[in-house]
Amino acid sequence: MSGLLIERPLPHGGRLVERVVRDPELGKKMAKTCQAVYDIKPTLHYETGVPVRNVYREIMSICYGFFSPVEGSMKKAELERVLKERRLLNEWVFPYPMLFDISEEDYKQLGVTVGDRVLLRLKGEPFAILDVEEVYRIDPEEVATRTFGTPEDNPEVVREPFDKKHPGWVIYRSMNPVILAGKYTIINEPKLRPPFDRFWYPPRKSREEYEKRGWRTVINHQTRNVPHVGHEMLMKCAAYTGDVEPCHGIQVNAIIGVKRRGDYPDEAIVEGHEMVHLAGYIKPERHLVTICLWDMRYGNPLESMLHGIIRQNMGCTHHMFGRDHAAVGEYYDMYATQILWGKGIPSFGFPKPLNEVPYGLQIKPQNMAEFWYCPHCGEIAYSGCCNHTKEKQKFSGSFVRGMVAEGVFPPKVIFRPEVYKVIVKWWKKFGYPFCNEKYVREKEETLEVDLPHMEV
Amino acid sequence: MAHYMVVLLDDKRLNALKGTGVEEKIVDLFGGALKAINIEVPEEAEKNIMAAFTSARIDSRGAITDVPVAFNRVLFEEIAKQKSIGPEVWNGVLARVDEIKEAAAKESEYLPSPDIDISDIEELQKEPHQKP
Repeated sequence: MSGLLIERPLPHGGRLVERVVRDPELGKKMAKTCQAVYDIKPTLHYETGVPVRNVYREIMSICYGFFSPVEGSMKKAELERVLKERRLLNEWVFPYPMLFDISEEDYKQLGVTVGDRVLLRLKGEPFAILDVEEVYRIDPEEVATRTFGTPEDNPEVVREPFDKKHPGWVIYRSMNPVILAGKYTIINEPKLRPPFDRFWYPPRKSREEYEKRGWRTVINHQTRNVPHVGHEMLMKCAAYTGDVEPCHGIQVNAIIGVKRRGDYPDEAIVEGHEMVHLAGYIKPERHLVTICLWDMRYGNPLESMLHGIIRQNMGCTHHMFGRDHAAVGEYYDMYATQILWGKGIPSFGFPKPLNEVPYGLQIKPQNMAEFWYCPHCGEIAYSGCCNHTKEKQKFSGSFVRGMVAEGVFPPKVIFRPEVYKVIVKWWKKFGYPFCNEKYVREKEETLEVDLPHMEV
Repeated sequence: MAHYMVVLLDDKRLNALKGTGVEEKIVDLFGGALKAINIEVPEEAEKNIMAAFTSARIDSRGAITDVPVAFNRVLFEEIAKQKSIGPEVWNGVLARVDEIKEAAAKESEYLPSPDIDISDIEELQKEPHQKP
């Protein structure tokens, strides 16, 4: 039987990156060795000036090991390799450029060169250091387009040219041209602000939590949404995967970062998922809500690769993927993620599925089809089972949002009443049920963390 | 393929449609938990809607969604006024685009939350299983 049991995978790259100094005195000492100080600021939309990203989230996710084996801002050769072959220089697969970008003006003011160390401040306090190993320049528009692919170069999955309507493309397009490459180290450990603090499980902690709970197999549910009943059924059904028994644990990992108008606020998302177990729809012993800080690139198959990396690093054995995974618009084929994990995408450098390429991923995909409400079955049904296709009533996210916005109390087959009330709780607080420009601007000022005061 | 819009009907809206003949077009959604009307959107009207309201999109069901709340309110008002779900409704809606846009501009900053009791979930949240 032991041959059938799935073991916890090693972190991607073989070991967890952990670049966090927890001793404040050591942190101060390291801060004093810096040649320059830079105040981290959000990346602003290249046309509208609205915040689209804050590099601090990438620094957090890198230093806490979510993005292992990446350790910092990529050098030019590594950027090229990632854009061309979706691999790091050490061969491990990785989908996206990770870059610390600054303007020419800021670079001139900093006056740093290779070998220097920059103190990065966040909200006025020391936060991290960047050891500068290389300085180079990029064409942000070129990086943006090469990051996501084109219909000509990637015909298997790219359907439309990427443009400014794509929020991930906009993030790279809005970056500054000067890149400081090198490793990050957090020297002043941030505190997560409520409600995010109780969902903060960096990979070392998540692995310890699984051990504590006796979870050998864990399936991850990726989310950027408050869960409706369709999501809940997806989680419950996907969890029947496992090995000799269904998965021991269902982890929800919510991507927390800059949101689009019309998304739910992050606070409602994490508490909405928590409410699924607080209200007993999934036993709390079997359900864990966690977060990862990242300004989503909405890159469908590429995003799924990053998701696989994050959750493998956290210790998950499985990852569920649905249709249109982490997608926006119709830039990619709606099944692009499942194509990547099931067959491979040769033009992105993967002639085989991600589990079968050298230096690929160990976490196992669970490619799920759709759930809908069937009035004939009288329940939420899985498309692979229910044959009442003419009567099906799909869960459309935008239909559900429209219903919420009109103040209609959703029926129980769409939202658990307790989960809906979490939406209303945060609606009362923000004056609006979804993210709007005011929420985004305020969020990008307060962020998800506070920094302890550090006198340097 | 013609697209459509879904107009949700609460008790107040159901009452307003009594005796109009439009009642026959009411459909049950989600096992009768929701009542709605599916109204077809003529191509020309769709073009005008998508141009006037840039948030609008066609979802996986072929329905036009993500229009301002004010749009849905005006759409229902025109259905009730014209006692119809025919193309004349769209003439009425499109004639009120400016009014909708003015209301929509305010609603993108503030929407009154439903007046419902959420004390039960606040109670549950006092004892979270996951602690910082």
